[in-house]
Amino acid sequence: MKKAIVSVLLATTLLTSGLSVMADEGDTIKIGALFNLTGGQASIDTPSYQGFKLKADEINAAGGINGRMIEVVSYDGKTDQATCANNAKKMIDVDDCVVVSGFSDSNYALAAGAITQDKQVPFVITGATLPDLCEQIGDYSFMVPFGDDTCAYAAAEYAYAEIGTKCYMMIDQSMEFTKTLAECFQERFEELGGEIVGTDNYMNGDPDFSAQIDKFINNDGGAEFMFFSSVPNDAGPLVLQYRDKGVELPIVSGDGFDTPLVAEVAGAKSYDVFVSTHCSYTNEAENVQNFVKAYTDAYGTAPENAFAALGYDAMDLIGQALATVEDPTDTAAIKDAIEATSDFKGVTGTISYSAESHKPDKTASILELVDGEFQFVTEE
Amino acid sequence: MKYRENAAVRFVCFVLLPLLILIYSAINRGHYYSDLICLFGIHLILATSLNLVNGFSGMFSMGHAAFMAVGAYTSALLTISETQKARISGLPEWFQKFTLPFPLALLCAGLVAALLALLIGFPVLRLKSHYLSVATLGLIVIVRAFLDNEDQFTNGARGITGLPSYSTIFSVFLTGLILLYIMYRLIRCSSYGRGLIAMRDDDVAAQTLGVRIVTKKISIFCLSAFAAGIGGALWGHLQTVISGQFFYFTDSFEIVEMSIIGGMYSLSGGIVGALVMTFLPEILAPLETGIMIGGFQLPELYGASNLIMAVFLILLIIFRRQGILGDSEIIVESIFSKSTYTGIFKAETYRKLVDITKAKLTGKKKEKTAK
Amino acid sequence: MSFNYILGQLINGIKLGSIYAIIAIGYSMVYGILRLINFAHGDLLTVGVYTMLVLMGFSGLPIWLVILAGCIVSIMVGMTMERLVYRPLRGSGEETTLISSLAVSVFLQNLISMIFTPQKKAFHLPDFLTVNHSLGPVSLSTINILTMISIVVILIALTLLLKKTKIGMAMRACSDNLAASQLMGIKINNVVVVAFVIGSGLAALTGVMLAGEYKTIEPLMGFVPGLKAFCAAVLGGIGSLNGAVLGGFIIGIAEVLFAGLMPSDITPYRDAFIFFLLIVVLLVKPNGILGSSEGGRS
Repeated sequence: MKKAIVSVLLATTLLTSGLSVMADEGDTIKIGALFNLTGGQASIDTPSYQGFKLKADEINAAGGINGRMIEVVSYDGKTDQATCANNAKKMIDVDDCVVVSGFSDSNYALAAGAITQDKQVPFVITGATLPDLCEQIGDYSFMVPFGDDTCAYAAAEYAYAEIGTKCYMMIDQSMEFTKTLAECFQERFEELGGEIVGTDNYMNGDPDFSAQIDKFINNDGGAEFMFFSSVPNDAGPLVLQYRDKGVELPIVSGDGFDTPLVAEVAGAKSYDVFVSTHCSYTNEAENVQNFVKAYTDAYGTAPENAFAALGYDAMDLIGQALATVEDPTDTAAIKDAIEATSDFKGVTGTISYSAESHKPDKTASILELVDGEFQFVTEE
Repeated sequence: MKYRENAAVRFVCFVLLPLLILIYSAINRGHYYSDLICLFGIHLILATSLNLVNGFSGMFSMGHAAFMAVGAYTSALLTISETQKARISGLPEWFQKFTLPFPLALLCAGLVAALLALLIGFPVLRLKSHYLSVATLGLIVIVRAFLDNEDQFTNGARGITGLPSYSTIFSVFLTGLILLYIMYRLIRCSSYGRGLIAMRDDDVAAQTLGVRIVTKKISIFCLSAFAAGIGGALWGHLQTVISGQFFYFTDSFEIVEMSIIGGMYSLSGGIVGALVMTFLPEILAPLETGIMIGGFQLPELYGASNLIMAVFLILLIIFRRQGILGDSEIIVESIFSKSTYTGIFKAETYRKLVDITKAKLTGKKKEKTAK
Repeated sequence: MSFNYILGQLINGIKLGSIYAIIAIGYSMVYGILRLINFAHGDLLTVGVYTMLVLMGFSGLPIWLVILAGCIVSIMVGMTMERLVYRPLRGSGEETTLISSLAVSVFLQNLISMIFTPQKKAFHLPDFLTVNHSLGPVSLSTINILTMISIVVILIALTLLLKKTKIGMAMRACSDNLAASQLMGIKINNVVVVAFVIGSGLAALTGVMLAGEYKTIEPLMGFVPGLKAFCAAVLGGIGSLNGAVLGGFIIGIAEVLFAGLMPSDITPYRDAFIFFLLIVVLLVKPNGILGSSEGGRS
């Protein structure tokens, strides 16, 4: 009986996996989508993956690339480095993907990047923003977003010019991204003549910030505004709890903070929040509005955060590069085609690459949260 | 099950076949399947080393990720190039140019992990059962906090990149085999191992018979940490990127699961557990991506493989509490027993094999006719 | 550093600690009888709040009904879990049950995130529950006050249950010696089910408090508080109700004070400090602060 159960289970799984291999046929271009669809990274990566798929479907609906359909191959990275690295290998070795794309966190991107570089397959990074990511991985990697430095510099410049010269920082100490963002912000802000009057920190996923808030109220060092370096998930609770405790100072943050959750969670208390990020969904530009509409139609919700647009742009970028390549199995040619991208107009801004830099020189949008929506303020 | 006792069958199943697979994948270095087998090798080291503590000493540690992390970081710092080290601010001048050859770095990784085990072992091993589990979980948290915050030595949450990819089929399985051999001799062929098992079964009785409990506990804990440190280092050199967040609860739980699935009272249980936990998720992964079954398109269901894994684990535990192997040691004994190697040259072995096969075949026929 | 500041931080600690305390009670109940560390306990909390989130979508339902329904669903999941997973495993090693509870936890987390997406979601209780009251230097929301009151109520009720009722006595007997109580004619299955019902109900109740206070929920929200509550239960002496509450408060207060009083370059070591504290306490008192001497050997 026991053996029967186990063998039936095994047989079904083997059968299904066998069938799935048989299903992969036809004259398609395979593109690997590396995202963490379960686990701690899922809330950032899932929108990005959905944006990515959306564009792929649009390209296919419009007749594919030079008559060839795109097939997105995706495996769940499970927020586990070994699985992510395995998936990258599987996509390249087993599924013959010619380009892989994905990840919103540099740790995972680095793990996958080591493989794509080794196997000489272009890797288009959708959301990870470590400034020297491409230098660390190698010449087969491309970043769709700007680096943390651009984002943080823009925030620092805007804050220094418009908000105040004394800043208190609250940093998520457990993430690579938040630490880098905070360092870049501090560097530029002090360069400009601003002063960091205090820093405090928390761990990713902490529910309660009351200790840090009371500490701040007790000794705010004359801060004129606060800089939060956090991942999107913590944005809402952070704003709410500071406002609840009566902290009225303006709040400045970096990319990812522009999640609708801030307004949903903090409600009327979500005022004076400024975010330096990839794009603004309230931007009137046609491509942005088309994207928001298409995304909403496809998934029933508005784009959850900026990572959705980044995923969309990544696929768009890959598609445009592939269209210029004669043989879409030649990864070196695809790499050159992506490198030749210039003046690509995406939802998140204009991307140009050069042989020296695979990090786009994008501008960061500064948004302000007004009446529950992030309104475009300026571009830095 | 007479086949199991036949040297030729043993040789083919447990020595020749794995060897062929290994050689084949060693030739295709860097390929997905080859690296998956590498990962299996590392899991094997980790799971069997955990079995040493959890299965043979009666303690229950869940802190393997901490030792892995220490091992991985030690080996990384000892092998990465100068340019990589320049990113890490707090390293002393002389260390910037200091690198060790891989085997030595691996040894150091193991030793540092064992040292950590020794340090925390003295106080913590006084605790029993769940209390020890909690304390070892705590060790993971403490190690993670250091890795994330001591930026000058560990590059903080950013982790260390550019580890040389030294983990090949050859290095992983050679290390694995050596470690396994040491463990096997220690557990199954020495008074040390018998004392250990006696301690697991009844520590008071063992103590009255002259088994030194404290020494035994500490030494086996250190040995296990040593292997875990080496496993962690190999893992780091396979992935070439490490950071604190990859040595946390989930990773530790995964190893504990391997050890329990395979059967923690047996060294080969670790191997079986590693086999299941490494390859089963890979088999299940295509299920999530919305495949076609009989012309019917299934929707994308990310998370489904995790669900199936969880159910599988629960069913397995319910129907086979001792793990797949229980406390038997088929594979390890076959690999390390002399008769496997000498036996294949004797004509008797084959005669036996023929007899067994005949008996099986005729036996089956008889059954059929009886029906 | 004024007195008011330290007082304020202490209150913050008590707020957090009271949440850990209630989860820890549930842990302790189940552990006391079955010697089972139920890692899925934190996920019962998640099940409860997601049920409430769905029900709050139907406007017009009074909040007490929503909370009650959340508790009931959570209890049902808890009972199913016991029946399907833990009962067949009864009598096997502690390690085995521990791993099966981890598997249950993974199952629930993934199921919830498949149904509700992994996104964090806003969770709003009616205003009268979340409004802040200023009491001198400290400010507390209604739900904070309710949480603290409910701890006292729960403790008294459970103590009465254990001391005065027949099922309570059976529970104590089982926690002393499961096999012997079975021989004495106690229906162990009933006792275990009652323990699970209480534990899961309390978990869902904590869910309301946690989600109401922080106004967001996500599929993985139960795991970290669950783990901390587990530490709390161990610290206080697992199996002891008073110990669980004491442990919860100690961990909550220690966490907040560490974050509040230490310089900011040390505060990232907060969780490490908590576990260090736990290990130190266990070394001095191997069965936890209020634990019976039996616990450590178990």
